[in-house]
Amino acid sequence: MTVSKSIESMQFASIGRRALLGASVGVCALIGANMLFAQTPPETPTGQVVVGLSQEPTAFNPLMAGIEVDETIWMQIYSPLWYSGPDGTLLPELAAEIPITENGGISQDGLTWTVRLRDDVTWHDGTPFTAEDVKFSLELINNPDFRAGNRMGHELIEEITVTNPHEITWTMREPYAPYLALLAATYMVPRHIIEAADDPHTALATAPVGTGPFTWGARASGDSITLNANEDFFGDGPYLERAIFRYIPEQTALYAQFRSGQLDATIGSGIPANYFAEAQDLPGLVVEAVANPSLEIVMPNLEHPALQDVAVRRALFSAIDSEAIIEAIYYDLHRPNVSFAPRESWAYNDALAPHVFDIDEANRLLDEAGWEMGAANVREKDGVRLAFDISTTTGNALREQAQQLMIETWRAIGAQVSINNMPAAVIWGDFYRLSQFDTLLVGTAFRTGMDPDPSNRFLSTAIPAQGGAGANYMQWQNTEADALLQEGIVTFDMDRRREIYHRLQEIARDELPIIPIYQYQLVEGRKEGLEGYVPNINARHNSWNMREWYWAQD
Amino acid sequence: MSNATLAPAAPRIRLFQSPALRRFLRHRLAVIGTITILTMVLLVVIGPWLMPFEPTSTNIRNRFLPPFDSTHLLGTDPLGRDTLTRLLHAGRISLAVGFAVMILSMAIGIFVGTVAGFYGGALGAALMRFVDAMLCFPPIFLLLAISALINPSVISIIILISAASWMEIARVVEAQVRSLKERDYTVAAEALGARDRRIILREILPNAVAPIVVAATLNVANAILAESYISFLGFGVQPPTPSWGNMLQDAQGYLRSAPWLAIIPGIAITLAVTSFNFIGDGLRDALDPRMENR
Amino acid sequence: MTRFLIGRLGQSLLLLWIVSVVGFAILHLAPGGPMSQFAESGNMTQADMDRMAEQLGLNRPLPVQYAQWLTNIVAGDWGVSYRDQQPVLRIIFSHLGATFELMLTSTVIAIFIGVWVGVLGAVWRYSLFDSVATIFAMVALSIPTFWFGLVVIWYFSIELGWLPAGSRMTPGDGSFANRFHHLIGPALVLALVSTAIWSRYMRSSMLDVINQDYIRTARSKGISEWRILTRHALRNALLPMITILGLQLPNLLSGALVTETVFSWPGMGRLFLDSINYRDYPTVMGILMFTAILVLIGNLIADILYGLADPRIGGRAR
Repeated sequence: MTVSKSIESMQFASIGRRALLGASVGVCALIGANMLFAQTPPETPTGQVVVGLSQEPTAFNPLMAGIEVDETIWMQIYSPLWYSGPDGTLLPELAAEIPITENGGISQDGLTWTVRLRDDVTWHDGTPFTAEDVKFSLELINNPDFRAGNRMGHELIEEITVTNPHEITWTMREPYAPYLALLAATYMVPRHIIEAADDPHTALATAPVGTGPFTWGARASGDSITLNANEDFFGDGPYLERAIFRYIPEQTALYAQFRSGQLDATIGSGIPANYFAEAQDLPGLVVEAVANPSLEIVMPNLEHPALQDVAVRRALFSAIDSEAIIEAIYYDLHRPNVSFAPRESWAYNDALAPHVFDIDEANRLLDEAGWEMGAANVREKDGVRLAFDISTTTGNALREQAQQLMIETWRAIGAQVSINNMPAAVIWGDFYRLSQFDTLLVGTAFRTGMDPDPSNRFLSTAIPAQGGAGANYMQWQNTEADALLQEGIVTFDMDRRREIYHRLQEIARDELPIIPIYQYQLVEGRKEGLEGYVPNINARHNSWNMREWYWAQD
Repeated sequence: MSNATLAPAAPRIRLFQSPALRRFLRHRLAVIGTITILTMVLLVVIGPWLMPFEPTSTNIRNRFLPPFDSTHLLGTDPLGRDTLTRLLHAGRISLAVGFAVMILSMAIGIFVGTVAGFYGGALGAALMRFVDAMLCFPPIFLLLAISALINPSVISIIILISAASWMEIARVVEAQVRSLKERDYTVAAEALGARDRRIILREILPNAVAPIVVAATLNVANAILAESYISFLGFGVQPPTPSWGNMLQDAQGYLRSAPWLAIIPGIAITLAVTSFNFIGDGLRDALDPRMENR
Repeated sequence: MTRFLIGRLGQSLLLLWIVSVVGFAILHLAPGGPMSQFAESGNMTQADMDRMAEQLGLNRPLPVQYAQWLTNIVAGDWGVSYRDQQPVLRIIFSHLGATFELMLTSTVIAIFIGVWVGVLGAVWRYSLFDSVATIFAMVALSIPTFWFGLVVIWYFSIELGWLPAGSRMTPGDGSFANRFHHLIGPALVLALVSTAIWSRYMRSSMLDVINQDYIRTARSKGISEWRILTRHALRNALLPMITILGLQLPNLLSGALVTETVFSWPGMGRLFLDSINYRDYPTVMGILMFTAILVLIGNLIADILYGLADPRIGGRAR
């Protein structure tokens, strides 16, 4: 998110989230012929919602490491300074307004940030929320003894000053444009509770206290988490009296529970693609495909003797029948995308050459590059055989089907590919992080928070296998890309950044450091009558606005 | 200890002239089980040669064909591969895993059990305490933990199931050896100056064959089941190689739309495991000396 | 008896130590680690993950880590979970209830049905009843549980809508009727296998007994068949069953991993699988030690009970 983009968000913010939501509900009303008028939320929190999750939320300190489902709980209990709406605009939460250059929030050189805070916020235990809490949270992240989940951006902070209880200022070592977006997923923690605790790591583990729309109820470990409405919430809502998140590890059971009405909604990667068509016809349930920023790609190890040849990567790309994979294996759920940016991103370049499945073209590319057909129909060049492994996490039936289809078409161009799948805890260990793989079939995102900056994934200094500190596991090194990425980080002008990332996408499309297959959509469902659900590609989970959910009244 | 040492054991108990065989043949279920297994082995060995399809060749247009509806006798899977062809190839893998695990865990179990039982003392105690400790682990922990150590392949799956299933055999053998060691003929052989190896191979093991054979049969059954559990938990034989376990795992997502995909390998597993259990039951009755006077 | 108990205690401690060494080694030597799950999303940098591994002490040599763990557990500190930052023992205890409820129900069903099927099978040996019971038991032992569980969910929950598709209770309900309704599916699936086991054990134990001399003597004295069965045979045949019950005790608390997974049952088995997948070392080690202790206690109880029930054997069983 950039400063100028934030100006738009200011306008949206003045209209308010409820109005935004009302508009979308209104659209639904027009479409749904049986709905004569838009529903309105109840006066006091009413009813409960049971949401099914395929993973269990276990980390409740939002500044420690967590996965997607953990953030589902953070979103309800805690509040960030601001957050991102479905269209990418930033909406103030604990902050009174979004800091931008125009309102003096961010200095011209991008080094000094000033944030004004709301003065009507209290923690769930009644203690007032102040700028000291923000200072404490940011300092805790950088505390060397604290196991912070992510210090990206935060580590650039030099000095934090509380100018008054509702205003805070900090300076940064260097300008960092993605920080605005990163702060949209940084939740503030209560200073008075953590300071009083023996260990900051366990302080919020059993009874988290935040400023969010729901308060902690109870947790049945391995089963469910119950949250209650925060009647004193400073924003709109919540309209539900209770929200229950239920962990159901088995996909068949999750789907069966949703189908039989034991769950009111299933959010995230719960319903697999093979149930999509059937689920859409279920009476009394609304099931839809919602956009997700993750991309399914083949990640080649660019230090592999065969895969380092760009001609090989182009040939492999041509010889993937993406259309068949999307249509047959995933029942047309996902959408093609040849970029590393999601189609919804403001930085997405829609002028890239589309993917064409063409075995002949792939063979021509390899012939041209000097890869000659050798023994057992495997191509060779300079003693290097076109043979490699493809790995992914075990137990994902649909992915394994996709692998087998790819292997079939790759065999037709003289590439000998074997499947070598591993359990998640193994594959994402050194195998992934120290680039010990040949190729990986992986679903991942190339951005920083919701900012389009992919430098953590693409910079040549971000290769852990070569001593770098980022996540450039394919070991891509490209001088022009490096320069573009460096410029993008320190540039606050959105139009210039868009140009930078468009060019970067062209380079990636041409060099194929990652071989794109499709962009994800998730199947999410809810009972009819559950109003207020709005998917948000800029949130890590679509329970982001649960405070605005409510049951329609008859 | 190699498998060959078991060979001279057979004549010792005179299986083929003994009442044991008669008792076994009287056990109808055991006979049915034996016939079923022999038929299955024959089918998976010869069957694939007769099938016009390849187990790995996909045809996405012909996916999810139901059984008995086309040239694909048992229908096709989500990638349009012939289910019967895959079932036969998978049978080769699954049965081979079962037998190989049996041989490997027998070898380990008999070796550890014999050494512990024969020499006793500190060595024996240490070995048996180790066996006890291994039995304290939930079998699934051993399977999961070891499968994380080695990349899944047919060989590694054989090794890891064996590693989790040799302890019971070691216990059975140790108990047998320990009691046999005190018997007259062993003591006599020892008095005549026979060497340990000879006493173990010629005198003790042949007389411990009965419980070992029973345990071996049940071991095959458990190994086939274990293979399917490992596949269910996502650590099984790698695609595209089919096994009964991974066929069952792949079918989970289609229980409603294509139930036969789950039913066919499920029946194959149940049939094979039941047959081995029947055989084991029959062998136990047949080889149990107490049965003589019943 | 005291000497026997002290000897057993020493032996048990030795076993626990072996279990901890083997478990610790396998767990830590396995590739991957607690940081793996964060790498997939690409949101965290290598620097973040290295720093966290360092802070958790995962970079120290294995023997040092083991010594630290051993010192702590001897002092009664089972460690804190990496996954949810709670004491390991508290996590284990929070899962015991669900597992106990499920395992106790299925074991009671299994013993009740299994004992009678086994007794009648032995009494009417080779009858039609015996054959059918044998076949049922063998098939039950041979069906992959997860497959059977999925079929139960598919048929009884999706097609017929009779049973809930897993979980322990409806949120906010928790009444007995509601819990019972959720219990039926997983308890029956589990009971299927254990009924088969119990009936087989009972049958062979009963066969042993009714071929003994005193039964024949009783029979020759003209005592009624029913009286022989209940007064003499059954009582003696149940003796070895006590041992089996003792050996089954640990299962009551360590749970059934596969069934709990299929039915989303929040018990020990599920916790174990999740902890392994996460590489939550303190929790996995905790569960291993906990189950090992249960196994040892189960063995001890089995021996003592057997000794008490059958004075001929005395206190030095096994």
